[in-house]
Amino acid sequence: MAKLNAADIQGFAMRGYTFPVARFVFLEIVDAPSGQALLRRVLDQVTTAERWDVKPDSTLNIAFTYQGLVRLGLPDATLLSFPVEFVQGMKARAEVLEDTGVSAPEKWEPAWRTGGVHGWVGIYAESSEVLQRRCKILDDLLAETGGAQVLHTQDASLLSDGGGKYCAKEHFGYTDGFGNPDFDGADRKSQPGQGKLTADGQWAPLATGEFLLGYADEAGELPVAPVPHLLAKNGTFMVYRKLHQNVATFREYLDEHGSKYAGGKEKLAAKFVGRWPDGTPLELSPERPDPSLVNDPARNTKFTYGSDPEGTRCPIGSHIRRAHPRDAFGFNGQLVNRRRIMRRGLPYGRYAQPGEPVTDAEEHGVIFMVLNASIFRQFEFVQQQWIQYGNDSHQGTDRDLLLGKHDHGGRFMIQGDTDPANPPYMCTGLRNFVELRGGEYFFMPSLTALALIATDAVDPR
Amino acid sequence: MTNINGKTYAMTAITPMKSWKTPILRVFFFLLGRIKPLQAKLVNLSFIHFARWVVVKRRGFPRVSDAQPEENLHYDYLLFFSNFNGTWNQYIDAFADVLADGLDLVWRWSEKFPRSRPVSAFKRYIALVQFDTDYYYTAYPRATTNDVKAAHRVCAALEDLGKSGRDMSPADFNRAYLQFVIRVQKDLGATGVGPIGT
Amino acid sequence: MANQNGSIYGLTILSPIIDDPKADISHDCAIREYLACLPRDSRSPFAVLSSTHLARLVVMDDVIFVGTPAKEEHLQSKYLVFESNLDGDLDTYLTRMATETRDMVDAVWGHCYGYPGTQNVQAFIAYMKKCQIDTTFFFADVNNQTVRSTLRALKVQASVAEFIGSHQGKSPEQLLAGFRAFYGNVENMAEPVPGHPQEPGTHESIPLQKTMAARHG
Repeated sequence: MAKLNAADIQGFAMRGYTFPVARFVFLEIVDAPSGQALLRRVLDQVTTAERWDVKPDSTLNIAFTYQGLVRLGLPDATLLSFPVEFVQGMKARAEVLEDTGVSAPEKWEPAWRTGGVHGWVGIYAESSEVLQRRCKILDDLLAETGGAQVLHTQDASLLSDGGGKYCAKEHFGYTDGFGNPDFDGADRKSQPGQGKLTADGQWAPLATGEFLLGYADEAGELPVAPVPHLLAKNGTFMVYRKLHQNVATFREYLDEHGSKYAGGKEKLAAKFVGRWPDGTPLELSPERPDPSLVNDPARNTKFTYGSDPEGTRCPIGSHIRRAHPRDAFGFNGQLVNRRRIMRRGLPYGRYAQPGEPVTDAEEHGVIFMVLNASIFRQFEFVQQQWIQYGNDSHQGTDRDLLLGKHDHGGRFMIQGDTDPANPPYMCTGLRNFVELRGGEYFFMPSLTALALIATDAVDPR
Repeated sequence: MTNINGKTYAMTAITPMKSWKTPILRVFFFLLGRIKPLQAKLVNLSFIHFARWVVVKRRGFPRVSDAQPEENLHYDYLLFFSNFNGTWNQYIDAFADVLADGLDLVWRWSEKFPRSRPVSAFKRYIALVQFDTDYYYTAYPRATTNDVKAAHRVCAALEDLGKSGRDMSPADFNRAYLQFVIRVQKDLGATGVGPIGT
Repeated sequence: MANQNGSIYGLTILSPIIDDPKADISHDCAIREYLACLPRDSRSPFAVLSSTHLARLVVMDDVIFVGTPAKEEHLQSKYLVFESNLDGDLDTYLTRMATETRDMVDAVWGHCYGYPGTQNVQAFIAYMKKCQIDTTFFFADVNNQTVRSTLRALKVQASVAEFIGSHQGKSPEQLLAGFRAFYGNVENMAEPVPGHPQEPGTHESIPLQKTMAARHG
């Protein structure tokens, strides 16, 4: 098992922070000299993946777009060695990702439409006050060095449960945050079900190289990475997407079909995703949610689909079965191991409690971030082939109910059986429940790489 | 992109083989044809409509007229044709992930074949020996092989229901219909346009 | 018979292409230009040749040099590679090629050595068989359905999905009546057309300009 150099890896790449509030600051770098000067100062601020004896009150991490790396003055030969999809940027990949129609770049919010983002700074904090303080430190560095301008910022925070406390729900009412992949050297408690399946049905960590550059991946080689090696090692690629949620439309849809579906509204909501709104996996508890199961990390993501080939417990097209098929394609899950994505995310906007009036236009959704060694092979593949398409799961061109593009209606089939509370049911007339408001592809360098960039010391071969 | 029509990709590849290795390959293919479990993985991957390997011996290139110059080749050639669903990368990744040994058994007799894992070298080799298609036709561009199989299952189920349900009472038919829906409920995916590169 | 898998026949034909340095446009380029403009949807000649499941044409310029220590060698002629997966027997298919798709056959094989034309069907069949290479191993995922039955099944599948969706929650009487009507329609369904017309913008082939060299991909 690889012992990773935690001091060199940015903390955001290794583990999800459990802070309740965050601000994402999007920068435009002024020029190479001042940008490098800024980076030299910011280096001290960057949170690494080292274990905390005392949990800090905030964290800071940084990543760059291709254009940002250009502006920072990296050599041409290095720039040319970056993967094509990163060089093009997410906007140019709209056709591949099917970010078209309501999610098309022309429809993105103005800040993302104009683009020109060079850098992302992610600041997490334990409270708004702390967040302000940490952001002020960043602002001061920006002012002192003149290295970058702030293009725009995005705030995000855990939702309130209505009783003054934070909860792990997102705006459609689902408890989120299960099933992040486990990889070699991750140095955190892993849960069965997070990694890959072994020949004898156990769960093992995935190869480090699926999530960090410079390490062997599941294909038994070092993943494609920019040169020089030192620039890439311990770094990773990040996808950032601001996903607006049409909460009113979703609730209407759930009401409409929940009254027609014999299993009831809550079960219908569970069938959409593959977990009950509280997070209980349908595969383990198809009849009802089970708090004791959800709260047990040794069980809440430990399941396979092998004993449910008909999809009567967890529908074949449900969200989690699409995004992480586990053993559903046979071959003991081997076809899935190179398609895993590490998700970080936080909701943004005010949570409308169930029953509270809400409109689609309200600013709320999720800031969805993905970390992977290869944007093309991992995130883009899952999005293009498993979310916006269904052939691998034998569902034709049916798309994911939650995230899929449903411009012309669309169908989601809930497989069932003769149990009157679990009938087959076809959800027709799907709407666009989620819309993309903007985003980009970033490279999140290691601390060493940041220092190389900051001192203009990148040497291509 | 003429390699793709609808949801199917036409891959054509040619690799040289030393003549003495060709019979070994033929033996392997003979076994593959006879021993069904060897083909099981291929069937379970379920993204190839039709595929074939064609050995063209060094003196086997057709000579049809005197005006045509004679070939003078050292190697035999292995032609490979595949009609598959999914992207080029996905196809090769899948084979390298689950059928690496089988692939190696077919192509190890070809000159300069790297093993099928690690996959990057394998992809470079395929890119080197692949021909682009000048014209590709499919009678069912919107259907993957999964769709075709699902469609036939649905048809068969419908026929059974149509025959038996003809004379049923509404109550009985209701029950039979539920059984029918349960039978076809995994096979109802739409057959529209696929994603780019697929 | 290695060319057969179930009811599907796997035809592989390598036709040597005429090499004429004095031609305005070389024969291989002429083939490529023609193919670049040939419709690939329901207007394709292969849709007319309706027993064709999937077929391709490839102009193979030369064999590939894979790098030392392999020896470098070259073909003396370019070859037109034709791979087809079809229903029925070879003679019927070739006869239909000669009689129902003669324009395409002339335009493509007219550039190959020894091509006798399509007037004499037997001569055409003999010529094609002379260029045929036996398949060593032929895999067919679905090997027991004709083009026609598959096209029909796809249409039925779509109709069934639509029926199921629109008849949820109906009373048993409504359901039975609806089904009877539906089933009647399915039995009397119009013959589906192979190679469905593609909507604009999806995988259309791009016609090459006459002046461009025909190497593309």
